[in-house]
Amino acid sequence: MASRSGGDVGVTRRSALAGLTGGLAATSGCLGKIRALVGRNQPTTVSLSIKTRPVDQDPYAIAIARQLSEWFEAAGIRTSIQPITAEELYRQALINHEFDVFVGQFPGPFADPDAFYPLLHSTYSVESGMQNPFGYTNLLLDDLLERQRRETGRQRTETVTRIQRQLVQVCPFLVLGFPNVIRAARTDRFTGWNGVFDPSPVNLLGLNRNDESATRLRATTPDDRPTANLNPLMASHRGPSDITDLLYDTLAYRYRDTLYPWAATNWEWTDKEPLELEVTLREGLRWHDGRRLTASDVAFTYRLLQDTSLGSLSESVPTFRFRGRSSLVESAEAVDDTTVRLQFDDCSRQTARRVFTVPLLPEHVWEDRTDKATVSGVDVGVTTTDALVTSNIEPVGSGPLEFRSVTESQTLVLERFDDHFLSTSEETGLPSALSGGPPFEEFELQFVGSDASAVNLVANDEADVTALGVGPDLTSTIGRADDVSLNLERSGAFYFVGFNTRRSPLTNPRFRSTLARLVDRGALSESVFDGYVDPAVSPLSGTAWLPSDLAWEPTNPVTDFLGTGGTVDSERARKAFRAVGYRYNEQQRLLRS
Amino acid sequence: MGIVAVFLEVVAVLALMLTVSLSVVVGPERLRASLTELPERLRMAARPIGLLVVVLAINSRVRTTGVDLSWLIGFNITRLLFSIEGTVVATLQSAVPGWLTLYFGYVYVYGYAFLLVFPLLAGLVAAERRYLRHTAFAYIINYTIGMCCYLLFVSYGPRNYGIVEPLLFDTLPRFQLLTSEVNANTNVFPSLHTSLSMTVALLAIRDHETFPKWTPVAVFLAVSIVLSTMILGIHWATDVVAGTVLALFSVWVVSSPRVASLYGRCTSLYGRCTSLYGRWRGG
Repeated sequence: MASRSGGDVGVTRRSALAGLTGGLAATSGCLGKIRALVGRNQPTTVSLSIKTRPVDQDPYAIAIARQLSEWFEAAGIRTSIQPITAEELYRQALINHEFDVFVGQFPGPFADPDAFYPLLHSTYSVESGMQNPFGYTNLLLDDLLERQRRETGRQRTETVTRIQRQLVQVCPFLVLGFPNVIRAARTDRFTGWNGVFDPSPVNLLGLNRNDESATRLRATTPDDRPTANLNPLMASHRGPSDITDLLYDTLAYRYRDTLYPWAATNWEWTDKEPLELEVTLREGLRWHDGRRLTASDVAFTYRLLQDTSLGSLSESVPTFRFRGRSSLVESAEAVDDTTVRLQFDDCSRQTARRVFTVPLLPEHVWEDRTDKATVSGVDVGVTTTDALVTSNIEPVGSGPLEFRSVTESQTLVLERFDDHFLSTSEETGLPSALSGGPPFEEFELQFVGSDASAVNLVANDEADVTALGVGPDLTSTIGRADDVSLNLERSGAFYFVGFNTRRSPLTNPRFRSTLARLVDRGALSESVFDGYVDPAVSPLSGTAWLPSDLAWEPTNPVTDFLGTGGTVDSERARKAFRAVGYRYNEQQRLLRS
Repeated sequence: MGIVAVFLEVVAVLALMLTVSLSVVVGPERLRASLTELPERLRMAARPIGLLVVVLAINSRVRTTGVDLSWLIGFNITRLLFSIEGTVVATLQSAVPGWLTLYFGYVYVYGYAFLLVFPLLAGLVAAERRYLRHTAFAYIINYTIGMCCYLLFVSYGPRNYGIVEPLLFDTLPRFQLLTSEVNANTNVFPSLHTSLSMTVALLAIRDHETFPKWTPVAVFLAVSIVLSTMILGIHWATDVVAGTVLALFSVWVVSSPRVASLYGRCTSLYGRCTSLYGRWRGG
């Protein structure tokens, strides 16, 4: 474009003006084009960060992340991996929602399909905690999630099937598989290790003591969070097979898929609408500090789980865990010392039973924790209560074990609670494995640097068991050690890849489902898990709720992998992303828009 | 084997190594000759050694409890380190034959402790009085700067990033009890194993005349230790480079006449101030 500026020496004012006008007229068409081009934002490339735990804390997570990163890179997506210590990772991901992609283990099994409700319902997408960490919102799914709460029988089965099929299509998270957890356990002091940690360490009560001099059960773990925090409401500190289960009783306990009355003796439906239930507590229940556990404590627990400020703040402050279960309860009141009346929201009896498995909290301890917390590691812009930031050391529960001592990042010692109903009652109505109470006087959880040293301690008779799973490379070490058995346990705590659907381009279900096609569960099972995993696509795999079309098979079309033999075919991957509207730049990098 | 047993094992091996090396490197005659001067030597060593002990105490506190703080205020640089160097450490590890792993494991633990303690003991009998003082101050510089970096940077080593085998803890798992006791697994940048070993080697070269037999031992051990940090999957190559820079810096500081004169001027200024203050109080 030629442009002539006015004011040049020796140019008359008139000719300058004429030139300027002419120049402007000549460029006006061009300017429109410039504006259209320059006004557009430069297309930026897609980059994802995968957050997960380091090798010392999880034998598989980083390896999964590395494999994912390789697959995503092959499709032109820049990917980086950030190993973060467990406590910080869960704080970032669950409380502050700072993540793109998250690789981890789900904190516990899906005991009931209603576990989908807190995980995926839109109303929880803005809350902090274990509820809907993906920020997923979908009205259609919300409707299905609400329906399955009300429905029973075949109707519910159908709805749950639809939810699972939806999940595979829209992918707020991807189930990778259920690990076969490898543990080293000494057999000279205690036996019967099968199933003692999964789903809950309460199953440790079923151990057999071989050596009468073995009074202390010594477990090792590379996860030091229990030595810093024993607050059962704290999502960032609680993982699968959580130790606080031993400190806090629940109204009922699920043992080998059957729900047994635990702190309750029985419950009766009152035939009212909406659903109402009367729960009778055992006689003579006590807290670890000697106070009596009454129906008032139970009613208090349900009120606290709904709003940890108990209405004292202008907005309710819900817990980071148990949201699905506490949302079922409409009201809770103590009728007398041992009877609690629970009124439910619109749901079936089957679903309502889920509320029995929340930890019972003592009113005299927690009623002082309902004030607004002033100092916390959590984003201080958010109103939160002391109940959600306290480390809860020393904990006062009513469970079969009570707190003895803790040394941060070293050891946690619990001891048998002699006033527990398992020790004091003759007839408990519980399976014989549990009814005898703990077969040990003390329980010690010892922190170690990594799984290799955990196995080393067990092999040298300085510990009885590795509480968390160890890597498959240690199986031969375990096999060689004397008096040590190799225990394999299919965990209900599945490995998954979570997407933060609040962040573009992960907001787009088509993007996520194409991303899902870059994941080969079969290859992961071999290269990462060394075969110690049952690959799966639904959290309900291994239960009767799983429809046959979602069973995992290498050839299953729902998990169609964009490649062969664990290698992504870049050409096919690009074609798939282009088919859902995405474009690539000259360097074959995927563009955001 | 518990932590106490592992600790005793290290102390016993270290004592043996020190006895042998002192009698060979320093020689029985010099040892005997220095016995008469020992009380005075110890008195002179008290200040630098005392300062070193204080720094070490602060350091050990920061390394374990400072971890929570550094997660709050520090920069998480694991990703950055990986993007700088990629799989260098993995390549190095795969190039080293398996039977050497045990050697590097022992060098990492015993060799390192020996390399650090020897100059302090030898310094007590050295004719040059600066030997011990310089060594102690160089250590102090290393630990202080290292400590600040550990607070500022959070990073996992290559073994925790899953790109290498965690060889040390696979072959000698008992040592992890010890290392996790003295350090957190997020304190990798810079490598203090590298910086302190290189410091000792550099000082040994500088003061070659004092203990001629020590120089080759120190250099050989230092190189082995530097390699071991990477081969065992504990440190990134970048940590090693940063550690070497730190070593060069600390040796430059203790050797530089300019720093010495600055220090001298500061202490004389301090002396003058205190005497002025004394006179003012007395006057």
